[in-house]
Amino acid sequence: MIAFDEVSLSFGRRVLFSNVTLNLRGGKVIGVTGANGAGKSTFLKLAGKVIRPDAGEVRLPDGKTIAALSPEMKVYDTLTARENLSFFAKLRGKSIDLLKLGERVGLDLETFGSVRAENLSTGMRQRLKFAILLSVDADIWLLDEPTANLDDDGREKIFHEVCGAKADKIILLATNDKAEVALCDEIIQLPL
Amino acid sequence: MRLSNFLFEQVAAILRKDFLIGLRRRATFAAMMMFALTAVASLSLSMTGGFVEPKFLAALLWVVIFFAASAGIAGTFDDEAQAGTLPTLKLYAQAQAILFGKMCYVFLSLTMLTLFILPIFLILFNVAVESFLLLSLTILLGLIGIAAAGTLTAAITTSATVKGGLFPILLFPITLPIFLPAITLTELSFTGGAFETSSLIVMAAFDAILILASSILYDYL
Amino acid sequence: MNKLLILLTLAICAAIIFFVPPIKGLGEVAKIIFFHVPTAWVSVIAFFSSAFFAARFLRTFNFSFDKLSERAARLGFIFVLLSTISGAIFSKLTWGAYWNWDPRQTTIFVLILIYGAYLTLRAAVSDERTRAKVSAVYSLLSVLTVPFLVFIIPRMYFSLHPSPVLNSSGRVEMDSIVLVVLIAAVVDATLIFIQLMRREIS
Repeated sequence: MIAFDEVSLSFGRRVLFSNVTLNLRGGKVIGVTGANGAGKSTFLKLAGKVIRPDAGEVRLPDGKTIAALSPEMKVYDTLTARENLSFFAKLRGKSIDLLKLGERVGLDLETFGSVRAENLSTGMRQRLKFAILLSVDADIWLLDEPTANLDDDGREKIFHEVCGAKADKIILLATNDKAEVALCDEIIQLPL
Repeated sequence: MRLSNFLFEQVAAILRKDFLIGLRRRATFAAMMMFALTAVASLSLSMTGGFVEPKFLAALLWVVIFFAASAGIAGTFDDEAQAGTLPTLKLYAQAQAILFGKMCYVFLSLTMLTLFILPIFLILFNVAVESFLLLSLTILLGLIGIAAAGTLTAAITTSATVKGGLFPILLFPITLPIFLPAITLTELSFTGGAFETSSLIVMAAFDAILILASSILYDYL
Repeated sequence: MNKLLILLTLAICAAIIFFVPPIKGLGEVAKIIFFHVPTAWVSVIAFFSSAFFAARFLRTFNFSFDKLSERAARLGFIFVLLSTISGAIFSKLTWGAYWNWDPRQTTIFVLILIYGAYLTLRAAVSDERTRAKVSAVYSLLSVLTVPFLVFIIPRMYFSLHPSPVLNSSGRVEMDSIVLVVLIAAVVDATLIFIQLMRREIS
């Protein structure tokens, strides 16, 4: 469970959150929706303790690991798809079958494995990022528009993984996409 | 124990990754080496024939190393911040592993820089080294100190909006306790004079303090 | 408090001009030493207070400590400049040169570099939160160098600088009136520093 305890955050005069108290429980996909600028990404960053609130506290369960997917988090352009994947997997000490992992997100490592990330298409790079997320086997997933730039096949594969994984994870999904919203079991609507 | 082992694996993975990227994107390396070469060549050219005092040569060597290092390691964190990979790295690796992985990489690139520029320096200025052991020890301790202070300074300057020249300005006062004994010891290694072991110990102690302080302070960044 | 300080400062100035005997062979200008010692003292105090508040900030994330750390550094920068200039004038009178990289001159010059680097860093970071964090970290990193420099530099360079008032032998080699005025000046400068720090907060 991720607990927000009277969390406040503002940037200059823009007050994004004031005294927010809520608990985010695991076992389901929690959608975070709201207009542009409502603070969806910021909400995810707070939940992942990437940024610190002005006041209040965000508490994460002990010993739980976080994985995230967001447009701001890039992969290494000069490394190949395979090198990227094995680097991040190694950081969390996981030795896994990279080929099988590639298949799950529709990224064929036999052909794309030796291609540098800078030469991958946007959609392929998104699949690579999702494969990295899967490789680290984290307990908390923070997904910021995970299927933007993906074709139907890619979307389907990611939706499948998210639904299959949600039982023993806390999954937050920031989105305004109708198909992604339909995936969520619960919605937090952020006011502007 | 398992935790420290795990930390070590992360450090090794980050070092390997940075090395691989450094090899593929040679610009940083090349700039650092060429900077050192240009500085040494221009100084040597302007002094042809004249006798240069060992003390001055020793200071010159460290000035060249300092500014070439500044050119080479200022972007240690900033390159990743610009490329957008820093948030990914920070999420998946432990903070201490990032710091020490980067520090090892910085030390490695500084070692390569020195291996490249030192022979050229010694030849162009016609320096006879009396004690290679002392010179190597001094350079080793000096580079460790620059790597420790430089890595944290590189992390600090990442968040600056105006970066031009900021890195050497911040790094110089912090590494001064290294440079002063390093210059004296380097001079003694050229002239073969008797040296005090305590100077080496002071350098080693300051290196240890810099590493420890970087480790503690990095968590607050 | 302000009025008292102004009064004290005027009294000390008067004492320096009228009561303190002229220093042998150096003339009236050499009395600048009564300005040099207190400003040097305050610049060191300010340096350590800045680091102290930086540490407090990192512990508490209370931004008023960041403000205090910055004030101390700004004031310290002004004091260190005043001290360096007055020291150089005194140096010219006693040793015949404004600057000769005497150990103490070197140390104070490093202090100028650190203050300068710290304030440059503050100017270079636009985000308020990040600025507070990185400048506190830099302040604490730079404070480590000072004990080392104090230890290393005097071993490497020969010093002409007069021993500190309280030297290791424990003897005080000064006229009692000179000593009293000097101590009063140091206390006065410290109080001025504290008053300026407090004024800036409110």
